[in-house]
Amino acid sequence: MSGAGRAVLAGLALTLPFWLPNPYFLHVAIMAGIFGVLALSLNLLLGYTGQLSLGHAAFFGIGAYASALLTLRLEWSFWLALPAAVALAALAGWLIGRLALKLRGAYFVLVTISFAGVVALVSVNWMELTNGPLGLPGVPAPTLGPWSLRGKPAYYYLVLAAVLLASLVCRRLVHSRIGRAFVALRENEPLAESVGVDVTHYLVLAAVVSAAMAGLAGSLYAHYTRFVSPEVFLFSYTVTMVIMVVAGGKGTLAGPLVGALIFTVLPEALRAVVSWQWQMLAYGVLLILLVVFLPRGIVPAIAAWRVRQAP
Amino acid sequence: MAELLQHLVNGLVLGGTYALLGIGLTLIFGLMNVVNFAHGEFYTLGAYATFAALGLAGANFFAAVLAAIACGAVLGALCEQALLRPLRAESIDTTMLVMIGVWIAMQNAELLIWGGVAKSIPHPFPTAPLVLGPVSIAPLRAFVLVLAAGLIVMAYLAIHRTRLGTAMRATFQDRDTAALMGVRIHRMHTVTFAFGSGLAAAAGALLGPVFLAYPSMGDLASLKAFSVVILGGLGNLPGATLGGLLLGIAEELGAGYISSGYRDAVGFVIIILVLLLRPAGLFTKQERIG
Amino acid sequence: MTRPLAVLVALVATATLAASSTVSAQAPIKIGVIEPLSGPVAASGNYVRMGAEIASDWINARGGVNGRKITLIIEDNKSDPKEAASAAEKLIVRDRVPAIMGAWGSSMTLAAMPKLEEYGVPMVVETSSAAAITKRGNPWIFRISPPSDMEALGLEQYVDRLGVRRADFLAVNTDWGRGAIAAFGDMLKKKGVAVGAAEYMDQAATDMNAQLTKIKGTGGDTLFLTTAVEQITLVLKQAQEQRLARKIVTTGGSSSPTQLIKQAGAAAEGSYHIVFFMPWFPEAMPDAKLARAFVDEWSKRGHPFEGLTEGFRGHDGIATIVEAIRVAGRDEPTAVRDALWRVSLVGVNGPIRFEKDGPTGKESGQSKPSIFVVQIRDGKVALPDFLAKQ
Repeated sequence: MSGAGRAVLAGLALTLPFWLPNPYFLHVAIMAGIFGVLALSLNLLLGYTGQLSLGHAAFFGIGAYASALLTLRLEWSFWLALPAAVALAALAGWLIGRLALKLRGAYFVLVTISFAGVVALVSVNWMELTNGPLGLPGVPAPTLGPWSLRGKPAYYYLVLAAVLLASLVCRRLVHSRIGRAFVALRENEPLAESVGVDVTHYLVLAAVVSAAMAGLAGSLYAHYTRFVSPEVFLFSYTVTMVIMVVAGGKGTLAGPLVGALIFTVLPEALRAVVSWQWQMLAYGVLLILLVVFLPRGIVPAIAAWRVRQAP
Repeated sequence: MAELLQHLVNGLVLGGTYALLGIGLTLIFGLMNVVNFAHGEFYTLGAYATFAALGLAGANFFAAVLAAIACGAVLGALCEQALLRPLRAESIDTTMLVMIGVWIAMQNAELLIWGGVAKSIPHPFPTAPLVLGPVSIAPLRAFVLVLAAGLIVMAYLAIHRTRLGTAMRATFQDRDTAALMGVRIHRMHTVTFAFGSGLAAAAGALLGPVFLAYPSMGDLASLKAFSVVILGGLGNLPGATLGGLLLGIAEELGAGYISSGYRDAVGFVIIILVLLLRPAGLFTKQERIG
Repeated sequence: MTRPLAVLVALVATATLAASSTVSAQAPIKIGVIEPLSGPVAASGNYVRMGAEIASDWINARGGVNGRKITLIIEDNKSDPKEAASAAEKLIVRDRVPAIMGAWGSSMTLAAMPKLEEYGVPMVVETSSAAAITKRGNPWIFRISPPSDMEALGLEQYVDRLGVRRADFLAVNTDWGRGAIAAFGDMLKKKGVAVGAAEYMDQAATDMNAQLTKIKGTGGDTLFLTTAVEQITLVLKQAQEQRLARKIVTTGGSSSPTQLIKQAGAAAEGSYHIVFFMPWFPEAMPDAKLARAFVDEWSKRGHPFEGLTEGFRGHDGIATIVEAIRVAGRDEPTAVRDALWRVSLVGVNGPIRFEKDGPTGKESGQSKPSIFVVQIRDGKVALPDFLAKQ
C-alpha cells in the first residue's frame, strides 16, 4: 500500500469514535479489533509455519478466564492481570508446541482440537475455580489512573493499541531471520532441516507467540463484555478465526485484519438487511462464494489485481 | 460385575455408531485430504431424508434408508463437482474453508426446512429391550450394530477388491501414474466423495431412529468422526472401525467410573496420548502426513 | 470489473446498506426480543417467539397501547453469549427500544445484562433460571420465570405424596442443570430424602447409557431429570432400554409432555413433569379464559401443540412489558423500568407482580410464577396420580 493510503487508513482508525454515528458501530469495531488480534495470532501458525491449529479458542479462553479470575478473586489491577493472562496463554502454547512438535498436518489439527476440548470441559466442571457453566459475571472494566476505560471510545483505543502491537510483533517476526525460517519450514521442511533450521525450536516459538496473542485478545474480551463463561471455548470461535484468516489471505500481514473486519461486520450487516431466518444461511452461502471466487483470499487477490493493472 | 458388563455392552453399541461415522470420513479426509467439516451435515441429511421418505412417501423403513443413502451420495457428488473440483489446485485450507461454508449453509437450510424441533423417526423394531442375563440391549441398536458391521465389510471389499476401488486408491496415491494408466481422475474424486457422503448419510439413516433428528445433530457427529479417523489412521477402514470401538468403550467407562461431566474429555485425552505415542494412528504402519 | 473487486464491492455495499438503514423512531412502539432462533436450542427459542407474536398481535388488535401500535424487533442470539450481548447493543442503540424480552438461556441473559446497565434499559427475563441473574444487583432485570430454588419449593408440598425416599439426579451440564441439582438437592435433604448420584450430560450428548447404568446401581426410587425436551426423550428411551425402574420427575418446565408422548412413546409412561403452563387443562389455569384463548390462537396459527409449554413465556413477557408501558404512559426506558415495579397483571401462567430480589439499593424484580405438576398416563397428559386419587 502506498504511503498516502496508509496515512488515510491510520487517520480513519484514530478518529473513528468521533465520526461513527452511534456506539453500536463502535461496539462492532471493538469486536473486530479483538478478532483482529485473534486472526493475526492464528495466521502466525497457519499462514507462516503452515500448521493449522483448530484449538485456538483454548488460548483465547485461557486468557479470558485468567484475566477475569485474577481481577475478580485476587483483585489484581487489569494492568497486571493482562500480562499474566498473556503469559499463561503463552505457557499453554509452549506446552502444546512441545507436545505436538512431532506431529504435522491433520494430526496436529486433532491434538489442538482435543486440547481445546479438554480445557473447555475443565472450565465447565471445575466449579471451585471457574464457577463452572454459571460463568464469571462482573469482570471489572480497566482503569487508567483516575479514569475508567469503561466507555466505548476509551476501550476502542485500548483495543486499537493491542491490534497495533500484535501487527508490529507479527511484522518484526516475519521480516526477521525467524520469519524466514518459518516460511522455509512451511515450504519444505526436510530441506529447511538439512540447511540447519532448528525446526522444533521455531515451531515452539511460533506456537508460544501465537498463543500469547490469543491470550491478549481473551483478556481484552473479558474486560470488555465483563462476563466470561465456558462458551468462550466454543468451537465456533475457532471456526470464525479460520474463516477470517483464510478468507482474508493467510500468510499476509494485512489479510487477517481485513478478514476480521469483514467477518465481524458481515453478521451484523446481515442482521440489518436479512430477516433472522436467513441470516446464517446467507452467511454460509456468502462464504462459499467468496472461496470459490477468491480461493487465495481477499488481500492476495487484490495484490494480484494491482500487479495486473501496473503498466 | 453386572454393571461393568452393561457398560461394556453400551460401549460396544456406542463404538459401533462411531465406527459407522468414521468410515465415510476416512475416505474423504484420509484419501482425498479434504478436511470435511460438512461430513456431519451429510449425516444429518441422511436422518432427515429417512424421515421425509417415511412421512411423505410412506415408504418402507428399509427403502427409506436406501433412499437416504442415495440422497447423500448424489448431494456429495454435486458438492464435489461444483465446489471442490474448481479448487483442486488450491491448498487444503482453502477446501476446508469452502466445506465450513457448506456446513453452515446446510445446517441452516435444514433448520429452515424442518424447523428446530427434533423429529422422531419411526422404525419397525420392538422397543422392549433384549435381556441377556445381567445386560440388556434395544433390538434397534443390535440391528444397527449388525448393519454397521455389514456396511463396513462392504465398504472394505468395494475399496480393496474391486477395479473401481483399485482405481480410487491409485488416484490418491499417485495421481499422475493413475492418469497415465487411464484412470479418469476427476471422476474418481467425485465417486470417492459421493461414496463417503453416502456412508455418512447411511449412518444418519440408521442412527436417526436410535436418537432423534435435529439440525445441529451433525456437529457432534463430525467431531467424533474426525477422532475416529485419526485414531484409526487416515484412509484405513479397519483402523477406523477399531478406533470407533475403542473410543466408544473408553468414553463409556470414563463416564461410568470417573466422572460423567468429563465424559468427552476421556476421548480427547486418549486421542492426545495416541497421537503422542503413535502419531500415525493405532492401527497403521508408521507414516506421517504433512 | 475484476472478480476480487466485485466481491469486495458487494461486501462493502452490504455493510453500507446496513449502516444507512437506521429507522427514525416513529409511530409504533418497538419492543426488543432476543431468543436463540438458530443453534441447538432453536426449537424452544422459536416457540417463545411465536408466543410473543401472538401477544403483540392481540395487543395491536385491541388498538395497541397508549394509542400506538407495538412492533417486535426480533434478534437471534444463536445460543452464544457474545451474540446475545451484540443483539442487546443493537436493539438498544440502533433500534432504541424502551424494553427487551430475553434471552432464554442463563448465560445469554447474563452476557446481555451489562449492556442494560450501561444504557439503562429494562429487560424482562422469560425463561432463565440461574439464581445469579436477580442476585447480582442489576436494577434493570425483571424476571417472570422461576429460579431453580423457587421451583424446588413449588414441588416441596408433593414430595411425600410422590413417595420419594432416595433420589438421584441427571442434568445437563449447564448453569441450569447444575442450579437445579443444587436447589432440588437442598429441598429434598431438608425433607429427609436421601440423595444418591448426581450425574451430568453434555448439552449435545445423545447417548446417556453410561450415566443411566451408573444410576441404576444406586438403588434409588426417583430420578430427577433436568434438560431440554430432546435430551429428555433420549433419556426416557434409554432408561427403558436399561430397564431402569424409577419414578422420573423432570424439572425446568421445558419438558413438553405432549412431545414426549409422541417421540418417546411407552418410555414416557408414568413420568412426572413440572410445567409452568398446562395447555391440556386451560380451565385449571389461574385465568382460564386467557389460557383457553391462547391455546386456540396457537392452534389456529398452525403452531405445534407441544410448543405451548414454552410459547406461553413469550406471551407473558410481552404482555408484562406492554402493561408497564401503559402504566408509564410513555415508551421511555427509565419510565418503563419504574412502571415495571407497579405492574400487576395476570398472564397465561398466572399473576405477575415483581418483588425485590438481590442487594439493597440495586434490587432486580422477581415475580412468583405458578408451578404445576402433570403426569403422563395411558399415553395422555393427566393430573398426577397422587392428586387425582384425592
